[in-house]
Amino acid sequence: MSRAAAPLQWLTMGLLALGLLGLSPALSLSLLAFGLAVLTALKLREARSLEERRVVALLQLVCAGLLAALRPELAPSLLQGLAILMALAGLLALELGAGPDWKALLRRSLQVLLAALPIALVLFLLLPRLMPFTNFGAGQGMGAMTGLSDSMEPGSIARLAVSRQAAARVAFPLGGEPPPLEQRYWRVLVHERFDGRSWRSAAPTFARPAVGQATPPPPPPAAPGEGIQLWLIEPSGLAAVPWSGSGRPLSADLNLQRSGELLNRAPGSQRRVYALTRTADQPGWRTAPPGPVDLLLPLGENPRLEALAAGWRRLGSDRERLDAASGWFRSQPFRYTLEPGALPRQAPLDHFLFESRLGFCGHYASAFTTLMRAAGVPARVVSGYRGGQWVQPVGGTGYVDLRQADAHAWSEVWLAGEGWRRVDPTAWAAGDPLARPGASGAGIRAGGGPLDWIQQQWWGLDIAWARWWLGYDGEQQQALVARLLGEQRHLLGVVVLLAVAVSLAAGLGGLGWLGRRHRGDPLRLELERTLRAFARQGMAPAAGETLGGFARRLSQRWPSLADPLEAFVANYQQQRFAAAPSRAGRRTAHRLGRVLRRSLRTGNRPAEAVQRDHP
Amino acid sequence: MPSSPLQPVISAIGEVLLGKEHQVRLALACLLARGHLLIEDLPGMGKTTLAEALARSFGLGFKRVSFTSDLLPADLTGLNVFDPAAASFRFQPGPLFSQVLLADEINRASPRTQSALLEAMAAGRVSVDGTSHPLPRPFLVIATQNGLDQGGTSALPESQLDRFLMRLSLGYPPRQAERALLQGEGLRPDGLSGAFGPEDLLALQDRCDRQHCSTALLDYVLDLLERSRRQPSQAHPLSPRAGLALLAAARAWSLLEGRDHVIPDDVQAVLAAVCEHRMDGGQRGGGEGELSQRLQEGVDGLR
Repeated sequence: MSRAAAPLQWLTMGLLALGLLGLSPALSLSLLAFGLAVLTALKLREARSLEERRVVALLQLVCAGLLAALRPELAPSLLQGLAILMALAGLLALELGAGPDWKALLRRSLQVLLAALPIALVLFLLLPRLMPFTNFGAGQGMGAMTGLSDSMEPGSIARLAVSRQAAARVAFPLGGEPPPLEQRYWRVLVHERFDGRSWRSAAPTFARPAVGQATPPPPPPAAPGEGIQLWLIEPSGLAAVPWSGSGRPLSADLNLQRSGELLNRAPGSQRRVYALTRTADQPGWRTAPPGPVDLLLPLGENPRLEALAAGWRRLGSDRERLDAASGWFRSQPFRYTLEPGALPRQAPLDHFLFESRLGFCGHYASAFTTLMRAAGVPARVVSGYRGGQWVQPVGGTGYVDLRQADAHAWSEVWLAGEGWRRVDPTAWAAGDPLARPGASGAGIRAGGGPLDWIQQQWWGLDIAWARWWLGYDGEQQQALVARLLGEQRHLLGVVVLLAVAVSLAAGLGGLGWLGRRHRGDPLRLELERTLRAFARQGMAPAAGETLGGFARRLSQRWPSLADPLEAFVANYQQQRFAAAPSRAGRRTAHRLGRVLRRSLRTGNRPAEAVQRDHP
Repeated sequence: MPSSPLQPVISAIGEVLLGKEHQVRLALACLLARGHLLIEDLPGMGKTTLAEALARSFGLGFKRVSFTSDLLPADLTGLNVFDPAAASFRFQPGPLFSQVLLADEINRASPRTQSALLEAMAAGRVSVDGTSHPLPRPFLVIATQNGLDQGGTSALPESQLDRFLMRLSLGYPPRQAERALLQGEGLRPDGLSGAFGPEDLLALQDRCDRQHCSTALLDYVLDLLERSRRQPSQAHPLSPRAGLALLAAARAWSLLEGRDHVIPDDVQAVLAAVCEHRMDGGQRGGGEGELSQRLQEGVDGLR
């Protein structure tokens, strides 16, 4: 056992602990990973013998595998890779004897990983998928995270507007420009229930899968040339995820609500990746007719507002009422500010509309929607993100970087014959950040420093990883199989087995080649093999001991081995130190080594067995 | 196992010096490597016997000088005396001009006399009044030194210690050998008749130089030297001369073992004798070789 074994194993433990930090305790599998890691650490603490340390190394590898299933994103994957490298080096330190040092162990460990790469690739590409583990047994309600919430009060978005925290990123990998800045409205939540103070979302309704069907059938893959939008969202605690409002979800666990919310079956307690197609045609939610809830308004709360809207009720069509309301809005001296002061409890919207006239998106959306409902036009508040900075990472796919500061709220108004129309009253107010010349996103954002730049480059890598690695799902796999095998799909099992066998052989061959090239000398190789055979019997050379000295000790322990030992040692020394070693001598070394090891195996049987053989 | 060409000598000396085969082999190796031998021991342990047995085994001329505090350099080297018959000075060689010189209790002499001896050992010649006189070949000095705790001694300077290829300590004989000694079973050294002559010894010395040292072996020796220079103890590091001495002694040992090439086991066999006195600076009289033991354990012996 190398002296590096214990430090390597502790180092692995540290890396695994680091990987555990990012796990959400809401997933039941996380608890399993935590438990396994603690168990492994305890075992490592008490491990003394070679066998125990071996068990520790295997537990560490299982632990890293579990982590890899739970956290497949780029950064955790790198960490897991490092942990596996260290765990393997630790295992090698146990198996390769005292010889190799840290550097040699790590190099060998890397070689082993490289040798495993072909088989991993085959399994990744061809083996049928499990569902992502992150979808199993997700708990509900992660508590308040920074971000949007189900319930929107006029003042609630103000605290987000100064937050630089990352919210989401969206890339358009299969060609296509990002939408123009004025079109970048990313909807998340639709608030339809208004109690006079706050706006709430409707309870989500999931289409239940049929009985006996564990998962809903996978949606058809994106048609060629359709384009996709690839989203990476940070943990939000919400079931609803941002999207552009058009397109079709490409994974089965996304559910498009009638209101136009896109729901994730598991609430976002972890970072998540999902993809949608990017179609220009009208999605269904836009023409889904309003329900009675879209006109509900607690009467008498804001009398001046109701009086104003009552004037517009006389107008013939909803469209005219909308025009009247927007005309009135534009004529008033509203001013955008993030610090409008608290609204009074009595008639808060009256106060905002007719007295203070100071506010931000939440106030405008809330007041405008209320006005429209009071005028008899179905309307609702939508919250999500607006704008976002277009980032073009070096040599990668561009993406829109959304921060919590980009959080926004706007209105949607139902117009007969057209459907839901987006109306953003905030844009009419003086000082709206997006209307400012030169604004890249919501203009509260400070200019990006070098750290920001590095982070944005990293996110670019993250997106590429998500696209090529996480994005390779069951549908993509089926497409690949179809392309490879065509009609011969039933041969998949044979193909997988063959590919596994070939890549295994290639990996092992490469490993052997690397090992031989590294150690070079067959004579030395033979010696090490023989030393390992004796090490398994508990005999290892002492510090500084020569082969001759070691052989003398061995013949004392196993007198029956004296002859083969002497022959082996004499030949070795001859080959190593005499003036003219011969190729034949190296072959002899191999033969003598085999003889010696065989005698060790047979001579090591219990004494009576030997006696029975040789009476 | 190939038999040693010198086995007859080893057995013969073994008859005289009972139970000391390893030391006898080391002394022979020292002789074959053209080195000089320092024996450090208490009186009465068989130092003189060993020296005399070595000399007689090869039919070499043997002289013994007891070093005393009043011994002068000229008493060793000899001096020019006036020859009235020839009316000129004639060089009268001293005891140094013998093939084997036993310098008994070298640490009792004055440093000046010690120095004269050591210079002669190093140079193989003696200069008297400007004339250089070559010493006979082969030439072996066996110096003995009492334990330093004994009175009236002046220790050899550190810098002179490595003129000696090896330092040995004979130690007490094993009980069985001492019983034989007491029973009078040991032979007297003068009973030894050499199967070898001085010419054979010179030939053997030349053969020593031709013992093969492979790169693997040189790497081992180099690792030992490097290790001695990096180890954190107070031990003196080994000089390049020490490296040469180690290799020469290992060559001689491999010849004694009956091989034509040197293996790490040979190096280890002579390591303590060659290196201990160079590393401890003469401070630890007759130590158990723990410095060289530690050095040996610090270098991988599996080559």
